[in-house]
Order: sequence, then structure tokens, then C-alpha cells
Amino acid sequence: MSSPVLEFKPEQASLLLREVMERSGQNLLGCYQCRRCAAGCPVGEESGLTPDRLIRLILLGEREEALNNLLVWKCLACYTCGTRCPNNIQTARITEALKQMSKEAHIKPLVPSVGAFHDAFAKSVSHLGRVHELEFMALYEFKIAADRARRGEWKAIVGEMKEQARLGLTMMKKKRMHMGLEKVKGLSEVKHIYKKAKEKGR
Amino acid sequence: MEIAYYPGCSLHASSELYDIQNKMVFRQLGLELKELDDWNCCGATSASKTDEFLSIALPARNLGIADASGLSDIVIPCSSCYSRMLVSQKRLAEDPSLRAVINAELARKVEGKIRILSILEVLAPRAKSGELGEKVKRKLEGLRPACYYGCLLTRFPSDISVPDDVENPQGMENVCTALGAKPLEWGYKTDCCGASAVVNDADQSLSLMYKIMKDAVARGANCFVTTCPMCQMNLDAYQDRVGEKYGIGARLPVYFLTELVGLAMGIGPGEMQIDRHFVDAVGLLKELKLL
Ligand code: SF4
Ligand code: SF4
Repeated sequence: MSSPVLEFKPEQASLLLREVMERSGQNLLGCYQCRRCAAGCPVGEESGLTPDRLIRLILLGEREEALNNLLVWKCLACYTCGTRCPNNIQTARITEALKQMSKEAHIKPLVPSVGAFHDAFAKSVSHLGRVHELEFMALYEFKIAADRARRGEWKAIVGEMKEQARLGLTMMKKKRMHMGLEKVKGLSEVKHIYKKAKEKGR
Repeated sequence: MEIAYYPGCSLHASSELYDIQNKMVFRQLGLELKELDDWNCCGATSASKTDEFLSIALPARNLGIADASGLSDIVIPCSSCYSRMLVSQKRLAEDPSLRAVINAELARKVEGKIRILSILEVLAPRAKSGELGEKVKRKLEGLRPACYYGCLLTRFPSDISVPDDVENPQGMENVCTALGAKPLEWGYKTDCCGASAVVNDADQSLSLMYKIMKDAVARGANCFVTTCPMCQMNLDAYQDRVGEKYGIGARLPVYFLTELVGLAMGIGPGEMQIDRHFVDAVGLLKELKLL
């Protein structure tokens, strides 16, 4: 990521910091930039940003950069950073919060497939109470294919279809593909939980 | 003894063989697995990445059912389900007002009393006490597994105590040793395989699996062992792609830990459906004359 020169913006800083701290439950002020987290982050190299840098962006009030960077989307929630952090700061909780904040701000995800994946998963659970792998993959594949078609990325669509077909065939051969649908009897309870989540999100 | 059991979605779908093996192997250990009645999906990592409330409330419904079962322990094989249920239980214990809000939606309320265990937390103490060793009928000699823990058995997003060393856990190695196998020391046992990134950020995940594969092969492993169905699926189903992309010729079968326990206790590979792996998992056993 090519960062512009960082400036301290007290007004924005306190607003952004407070929001991220509240949502993530993490004490970002405890970070003393020792970078133990950076050494173990499996996506730091590819993201061009490590947990310590992300925290720094937030402390400086760089809202735009903080909401829109590769680490937010590539974070695997592996919890390596937080387990090693001497101050118990769990950056995966921070990237979760930022992901939700960037969604609310209608910022396009830098890795659209990640957003589409988690949305499709949550949606699939809301239908039957359990995830049905085929339904969920269909929801997901359809969403990313539609996005890519809009951008004219036909090669990517074909590549994806080939890979999925290859995996699907092997899964059939190994009898690891299941067609049956399992539905939770207490589905109304699950639906209520979703409704409540929606109310809370407002 | 009866013990509650939460299989989770993947054990009722692509990892059904793991479900079958768990029930068989635990029965031989004198543990009857009682599947939670009408359980729902825990929301996995996706819920926590989309909605904080959902990520606590979805597992909570299962915790309520588990508490109502009257059993003292629940075993959860999938690392992701295990992690999400622990996180939810802890959060609800610390936040009575959230617990009240969620309990209001539930027929069976969360009380927070059931003890949540991973497969390893059931097996490792039995290896230590010698109970497992006594039940071994066929020593797994020649098996050199790289024990793979992945992320969620030893690392949690909140303060949860871990019964093993966080950076260099030994539980799975101890179980394998009790079975007569020779687990090896290696550097990637708790590294991330990418989990769902294999679907939504494939190159990233393949490069992580490459590092895992490379180290296991270099150290002379002839198989992987794991307890997590997601890790198992990734290392198994995508091994060809990783090998092709990065030029690794070796293919290592990826066993579930219970599968090895079952084999050592004399359960047949057919019964345990060991032929349903992607990388051939039967050939090595024949080669080592374990079948
Ligand atoms: S390990 Fe913790 S304190 Fe050190 S830089 Fe990372 S977040 Fe900050
Ligand atoms: S949890 Fe996310 S930020 Fe932390 S080490 Fe893992 S991938 Fe990196």
C-alpha cells in the first residue's frame, strides 16, 4: 500500500479511535508498536500492511485508509497476532469491526469475494438453520460471477468455474458431496435471532 | 458414560466420515456420544465477520440445548465450532444483560454450565493415563505423522485458557505416540492453512498450504494428522493444486486423529470409510503392513 504522509488529526482521531475501540473491544491505546504481531501475521506480506501499522493508522485518525486496506479483507482470523501481543490486542477483532464499518459506509471491498463469501454463509444459515454446502456455494459463486460479469472479467469467471468443477467432480467421486437438506425444527428461533441482529445493527 | 456431542454442519456433509469415526471410536473408549437435539449452525467465522450479535447468539442456542441435556460435558470436533461455542459461553458469562436478551429468544436457556471439550481434550488425557495405550491392538509402526493443529485449537479471540502449549502443543503427538506412531517435530503445526480463504482468496491460501507442505515433506513426514474438518479438507482436497503450483511431488494422506485411534484399536478401514479421502489414505497403511 502506498501510504501518503501520515498526519495527526486530533478530531478525527478521537472519533475513529473511540468507534473502533468500542466495536472491537480492544484497547488500541495499549499498543507500543513492538511489532511482535507483524512477525507472525500470515497475510502481512501480501497485504502490505501489518496489524501494528493498521493500529497506527487508526490512532492517527486516517479513517479512509483504515476502512479501506487489504489487511481488513485478507485477515484470516488466525489469532496469531493477538496470542503473541504483550498487550493482548486482538487485531482480528479490529479487522472485523472495520469490515462492518466499511460495509456501513458503502465502501466497496478491496477483495470482493471475501465479503461475498461471508454474506452468503450468513444468509445460507438463516434459510434452514444449518449450512448446506451446495446452496451456500451456489449463492457465493453466483454473487461473485455477477460482480465479475459487471466488470467484464470473463477470464476470471471461466477460471473459477473450471476450478470449482474440478473440485466438485472429485468430491462426487469420493462421496463427499451431499445433496440432502437438513432443516432445524426450531427454525423460528433462528429467524428471531437474525431479526434481533438486524434491529441491533440499526 | 454419556457425553453430549455437537457435530456441526461439515460433519453432516462433506466430512461425514469423521462423524462416523467419532461415534465408533468413542464407543470403544466407553463414551456414548449423544448428539444435541435440533442443533443449528454456529455461524463459524462468517458470522463474526458480518455481525457481532449473530456470532454470539447462534452458538448460544446450541449452548442452551446442551445445558438442558443435563450432561456435564460436550465434545465438539470442528475447531471452528469449538472456538465459537467457547467464545459465546465466555461472553455470556461476562455479560448478563446480553445473556438476558439472547435467552429471551430461546426455548432452552443458556445457563453456562456445560464443559466444552475438543476431541483432543478427550483423547490426550487418556493417552497420558495409559488407558489409550492399553486398548491398542495394532501398533501404528512406521507412521511418521506431522501433527497439524491449525489456528483454532490453541488460539482464541478472547481470553480463554488453553490446556496445551500455545506455540508448540504436544497433545496430538502424545496420542500418536501412545498408538505406536512416531510423530515428528516440525515448524508449522499451528500455522494457518487459510481456512475459507481457499475459496475466496485462493492464491493466499495456496501459498500458506505450500509452506505447511514443504516443511512436512522436508522433515520426512509420511502423513498429516489433524482434528479439524476444515484443515483436513483444505490440506486434502487442495493438495494436488498446491503440489502442481509449487512443484511438490509428494502426496501425504491427511488423517483424522480418531481414524488413527480407531485403526490402532482394531476397527476396520472400511467401517471407518477411510477410502473417502482425496489423497489416497489406504495405500500407505498397506505399504506399512498396518492393514
Ligand atoms: S504486538 Fe501488540 S503491542 Fe506490539 S505492535 Fe502488535 S499490537 Fe502493538
Ligand atoms: S488474525 Fe489477521 S491480522 Fe492477526 S495475524 Fe492472523 S491474519 Fe494477521
